[in-house]
Amino acid sequence: MQFNSILIRSLAAGILLFGLNSCSSSSDPEPSQPYDKGVFVINSGNFNDNNGSLTLINPTTKVTSFDIFQKENNRSLAGGVRDYQEVDGKGLILVDNAAAGKDVVEIVNARTFKSIATIPSTDIENPRYGVKAGTNKAYVSCWGLLNPDYSYNPGYIAVIDLTTNKVTKKITVQRNVENVIANGNDVIVGSGGYGGDTFINIINTQTDVATQVEVGKNPGLIGIDANGKLWLYAGGELVKFNLTSKTVESRLKITTTGSAKSPGNFTLSKDKLSILFVYSFYDPADGYKQKGETYSFGVNATSVTADKPLINKLFTGLGVDPATGNIYAGFTPSYKQAGYVFRYQSNGALIDSIKAEIAPSGFFFK
Amino acid sequence: MYSFSTYLKSIRFGVFLITFSWILSPTLSAQEAGNKQLDEVKVTGFAPEKYMAGLKVQKVDSATLARFQFQTMADFLAFQSPISLKSYGPGQLTTLSFRGTSANHTALLWNGINVNAPTVGQTDYSTVPLLGFDEMAIQYGSAASCVGTDAIGGSILLGSAPRWKQKGFNATVGGQYNTLDNFNGQAGIRFVEKLKNNFQLSGKTLLYGSQYNNHYNQTSRTDSEGRTYPVEPSETVQKGLVQDLFLRNKNGNQLSLNIWLTDSKLTIQPDVVAFREITQTKAYRFLGGYQLKNTTFKAGFIRDIIDYGTGDFSNPSHSETDRYIVRAEHEFSWKKADSFWQTNLRIGGEFVHYAARVDGYGDMTINEDREDVFALLRQQFSPKLFASVNLRQAFSSKYKAPFTPSFGLEYLALSKPATQVKFTGNIARSYRLPTLNERYWKVLGNPDIRPESGFNKEIGTEIKQLFSENLNATLGVNAYHNLIDDWTYWNPDKNYRVENLQQVLTKGLEVTLALKYLKENKMAGITGTYAYTNASQQKVYDAYAADIIGKQLIYVPVHTLSGNAYAGKGDWSLNIQGLYNSDRFITFDHSGRPFPPYFLLNSTVSGKIQLGRIQSSLILQVNNLTDIVYPSVRKNAMPGRSFSLGLVFNFNS
Repeated sequence: MQFNSILIRSLAAGILLFGLNSCSSSSDPEPSQPYDKGVFVINSGNFNDNNGSLTLINPTTKVTSFDIFQKENNRSLAGGVRDYQEVDGKGLILVDNAAAGKDVVEIVNARTFKSIATIPSTDIENPRYGVKAGTNKAYVSCWGLLNPDYSYNPGYIAVIDLTTNKVTKKITVQRNVENVIANGNDVIVGSGGYGGDTFINIINTQTDVATQVEVGKNPGLIGIDANGKLWLYAGGELVKFNLTSKTVESRLKITTTGSAKSPGNFTLSKDKLSILFVYSFYDPADGYKQKGETYSFGVNATSVTADKPLINKLFTGLGVDPATGNIYAGFTPSYKQAGYVFRYQSNGALIDSIKAEIAPSGFFFK
Repeated sequence: MYSFSTYLKSIRFGVFLITFSWILSPTLSAQEAGNKQLDEVKVTGFAPEKYMAGLKVQKVDSATLARFQFQTMADFLAFQSPISLKSYGPGQLTTLSFRGTSANHTALLWNGINVNAPTVGQTDYSTVPLLGFDEMAIQYGSAASCVGTDAIGGSILLGSAPRWKQKGFNATVGGQYNTLDNFNGQAGIRFVEKLKNNFQLSGKTLLYGSQYNNHYNQTSRTDSEGRTYPVEPSETVQKGLVQDLFLRNKNGNQLSLNIWLTDSKLTIQPDVVAFREITQTKAYRFLGGYQLKNTTFKAGFIRDIIDYGTGDFSNPSHSETDRYIVRAEHEFSWKKADSFWQTNLRIGGEFVHYAARVDGYGDMTINEDREDVFALLRQQFSPKLFASVNLRQAFSSKYKAPFTPSFGLEYLALSKPATQVKFTGNIARSYRLPTLNERYWKVLGNPDIRPESGFNKEIGTEIKQLFSENLNATLGVNAYHNLIDDWTYWNPDKNYRVENLQQVLTKGLEVTLALKYLKENKMAGITGTYAYTNASQQKVYDAYAADIIGKQLIYVPVHTLSGNAYAGKGDWSLNIQGLYNSDRFITFDHSGRPFPPYFLLNSTVSGKIQLGRIQSSLILQVNNLTDIVYPSVRKNAMPGRSFSLGLVFNFNS
């Protein structure tokens, strides 16, 4: 998952406001709650088993709570888990069921994880990622229904009002829509590798009006670096995008001495000066087993060569702890058994590993 | 499915007794008790059962088939055997795990022919009705040498049989309504005709259909612990035709034609077109047979069609597989005069040509030939002892199949009027030929995939005790150890390519107890089977396999219990069926929450009323009597309590 300073700042502000409010209404200090802090691991689960979950790890004690939604609500998340985001004290869990018409967004109290509301499948189909888009307002990117031949229709951004916990509108965006990143009053909307569209959408969160900007085929968002530049991976290249002029500044190819690979799981380092990614391929010499490593490059580099891995391991998810800069990497031994979270220092030195749940593929740091 | 006349005739309690005769009957002659009875008809029949020395074979009589005629095979097997089911939901894909093995380790034989879909090597038992067969047996353990591929965990044997002793013409019509707005209907005739030159013709035609609307009026169900599962809307429409014809002359030579057509259409989320997921499964099965003294020829054609699509079903993924089957068998027998010494030898061969047109395989038709040759030898040494040695070798035009011998023994250790004790043992190799999907699926299939091979050992004992002329009991205990190598796995680590990755050991114990009371027109009894199943992956194939090795396979309960209690008087009876499954793990390493244990009860009241020449039968059934909540594999709620009323009218000329 990508995080940016705006998001973190707005979250911090939200929590601060929440704290002030509660102080003014009660003389007792708010008791601490089990989900006030920690690292939330997004376990996507095995798609057809509908067994995604969230694991909470205490990064200091390494104490782990499994399937925290089930633990607090006595029912399972009925699907894979795509993303978890928090907006103004509420947590949004994006649940993607293998069957059409059963996807939902579960809204929980972010501190207790008790269910508040469920946004029904009539409003949500194939949810992908969420982001705060204003006070008590969230955007959730959705593919919408796939065609019977599994091709994509234009996707949409479901606009969620967290005071009513309802979808207030849907903003049509590109096919195979994926990551969403907040930047001031804008939310930038990227794609996955299969939709075929060549533009991103930039949505003004005040007006909910989307503007298309051409950047290259299947533009995937990476994040906003320390220089305030947006990074994307589009048309098979790294793209540095100027958010002020809304134009592409430069394009870089990832070069490698080895066999051809595909990059994925892009994540910015804590200082936003380097970008980590997993570079993988299916090895025909070994039954097409997915193989790969994790690399990093500096945002000011003029060329990117994937020859010396930062971590010589393939992961299904990467995250960087904004507090420590430690790298959290999700490892999936198979989709039928619990995965692990490997923790590394920012230089790639292994710290430890912690068992999570099935297919750890993203992280939310709090 | 059940034939109606079978149903009508057999519902009489005198005949109903036979229902449990395999387990119960205390008064068999020594020869019968010690052995599987030798039939006068040499090579017909639905399985070479008499060569299955040392294997447990549970026969299901026609009265039981009749009683549960409106059920699917899936529902029936769950309560009648310790087989555990893996169900995706009511009316949805339901496969068997027999003795801890996977869905393609149970052979389904129809009149001796394996009818598992060749693309996936398994059968969806929710699409197989219990109506239309005259014989059924559940065979436990590896019997590859007798029945061929897939029979690693066991096999389900279905057969049609002529009823030469029937007089005249019999017509039947029936229907059932269930409170979930589910309907079943059937109509059929059965006849025996004497023709010129001492020829006799016996035939049966049965049409059936069902519409399951599954109107639960609930969107979710919550169990007593507060665990909540959503309810998934689905609809199933099934129809079928069974046509059997048998022609014989006075020498007992026989011509037969068996046809079984089925069509099942499952729609998940029927109410919203865009959300629909539709699976239509059709099968056309034709089998001709000619029996000349001790030689049998069979020729068959089977077409399996599976269409899967979403939305408006306008462009489904299509799979169509044809099988052309030829089989010849001959049986020799030698008998010593004035002795029980008897030798039977059956030799035979089968040739099957496959032609598959499957979207997933590409545009071309895939052709493959498979042949089997086998020799089955049974030796009766004395009234108390017999053995069998069976050999089978399968051949393929594309790969090498393992040679599968087996050896079995049955010994009647004690044979007194009131007490009989029998010991059995069997050791067998087994195999499963690759499915067509495993070999030919574009990119993910593997043309070099190897057949799986198994090695099964089992021992058993059966004790029959007659307490009085009204009360008897049978206790059976079987233990097995089955190691299956080259177990195939669609490996997500390799983008779901299939490979011979795993080695699985299943071992376990089955304890069957039956008690039966009969006096005049009153009867009561219980039958129950407890099974302990330990099934686990053995082979280390990656660095994280340590999290998996030795752990119970997913969806396989360690403890299962299935039982029936019944009581009846005259033409009426009450039957209660129970089923218990212990925890079922859903991850290889047992992380996460397993599916909780559950205990399910069904109840049936049945009876019959004679109105002139019309016999009417009534079946009142309550499914899930205690309204328990338990999940399907897709983590949706299985159905709660529902009531069914079935009526069947039978007319005898």
